[in-house]
Amino acid sequence: MNKETKFIIGRVYFTVFGLIVLGIGIIEILLGLTGRSFEYGIIEISGEFLLWRGVILFSAGAFYLSGVKNFSDIRQYAKIVMASVMVWIIAGMQIFGMILESIPGGEEGGWFNTLEGFLATYSPPYIPSLFLLPFSLVVFYYIKLIEEPRGEDKNKRGNSSVNRG
Amino acid sequence: MKLAIDERWNLIDKIAKQVVKYGTYRSTLKDAIEEITVKPLTGIPIAIAVLYGFWAFFGAFAGFFTDGFFVKFFDNHWLPWLQGVFPGKGGWLYYILVGDPTASNCFEAFGALTSGLFVAIGVVLPAIIAFYLFLTILEDSGYLPRLAVLIDTVLHKIGLHGFAIVPMILSLGCNVPAVAATRALETKKQRFMMAVLLAIFIPCGAQLGIMLEIIPQYVGFVMIYLFAGFFIFGFILNKLIPGKSPEILLDVPPYQMPIGRNVRGKLWIRVKGFFTVAIPFVLLGVIIVNIMYLTGFLGWLANVLEPVLCGWFGVPKETVGPLIAAFLRKDLAVAQLSTINMTIYQLVTSVILVSLYFPCVATFAMLIREGKEEGWRGVLQYLFGSLATLTAVVFLWGGLIHLVWIILGVV
Repeated sequence: MNKETKFIIGRVYFTVFGLIVLGIGIIEILLGLTGRSFEYGIIEISGEFLLWRGVILFSAGAFYLSGVKNFSDIRQYAKIVMASVMVWIIAGMQIFGMILESIPGGEEGGWFNTLEGFLATYSPPYIPSLFLLPFSLVVFYYIKLIEEPRGEDKNKRGNSSVNRG
Repeated sequence: MKLAIDERWNLIDKIAKQVVKYGTYRSTLKDAIEEITVKPLTGIPIAIAVLYGFWAFFGAFAGFFTDGFFVKFFDNHWLPWLQGVFPGKGGWLYYILVGDPTASNCFEAFGALTSGLFVAIGVVLPAIIAFYLFLTILEDSGYLPRLAVLIDTVLHKIGLHGFAIVPMILSLGCNVPAVAATRALETKKQRFMMAVLLAIFIPCGAQLGIMLEIIPQYVGFVMIYLFAGFFIFGFILNKLIPGKSPEILLDVPPYQMPIGRNVRGKLWIRVKGFFTVAIPFVLLGVIIVNIMYLTGFLGWLANVLEPVLCGWFGVPKETVGPLIAAFLRKDLAVAQLSTINMTIYQLVTSVILVSLYFPCVATFAMLIREGKEEGWRGVLQYLFGSLATLTAVVFLWGGLIHLVWIILGVV
């Protein structure tokens, strides 16, 4: 598969992904504004800073959609990278919070959690950003692809002349 | 040795061939990211994400140590042990050092060795470590100057410039180094405005830690209310205070990976500085308030100030104790508020009042010291200027929140 085809696939992938992220962002903003929560199967849209998480995901979605235009341009692709970073911040902080929550025992328990309690902390439902996290990692593949040096851009050394004007 | 003009140019040519690289410069991803993080359209959502990360990290880290371990240690082990072994139960010394003998937790006991130590070590220390760790990473990665560029336009509206974000963010850790950091601002007007505004409106990390503990769901509201006050009173001060607000050129460094050794070093210096200042003031605050309570002075003062506290601010007269403690430590004052019987709206108002009412003694001393840099006239200007500002702010901004509750019908 040549580079151009890979870029076309990337453009389609991040358009679809951007629309999903944008949609989730809108839902989180609406739920955050109305003070409601939503739970379906293993997905849960609730918790602290829901409105802010919505604003961040909405912006990330907009960045993805804006970045797919002229996708192979590094300046455009930087928007996709930052959109992914925004998803990682939300998901990363959620995982960090879960890890810290799983270690100590409950209010009435001992100093440290039991094995059951520890594992229960990691059980579903999860916030949408956790599901978005693995799909956003595709960004690394395209970083590698975009940063590959092109033949015509190879720097030349020594073919200079100083203007003696 | 003297060279002719042609020989000089030949030498220049020779050196240039060896050291100058020619070709088309191809922007790297790092360049592009550096660019989009300072452009408002893309930079502001990224800044919101970074600040969300900051806040989520702060809450998770501080909660892990405070709720996970320190509450358990102080309430289940330290307090019962101290209540059992400390001699003279019910006496003055017992009340001052251990507090209420019937208390079942360290927030309620209010002794220097119970509530005092719990607040300083159990609540404030984890919050401060979390805050400074994240701040140091932001600083060393090169993101903080970009935040300064982003907020420059907004701060210009109140006569400051983007670099004022540094004392503002430092202030969220501790107001004392933040007041010192106002020296980086250009004019006397900017320095005074920034020092007074942050001393009044920006709660320190210790206070934030306690606020997260007692009113977690209202911290966001309190912060927005205080920041709104910061900008509104900043705008007014900018119009009232004579002086210039010049433009500056800010050097924005490239992004880089923070070095572990530097982060550790900075964190240690900041936490050590805070720790050595905080603990004596917290303990002293508890002792002074307990003595005032035992001598009946606090009750007398509460009765005298009752019309203002209940009528204008809509808070119980018992809040006079925490307001006095706030002069020594604001975190301690907020912790004290949680033991007073009042509605959640009164509690939120009281927390706002504690923030606005007076900078802690260490910050106030720093304000005076900053004034001294400009001679005795400067001291008087800082002293009376800050007192006049905070009196106006407390009555107007503190009274306004009571009015908001009345309009919403929740009083």
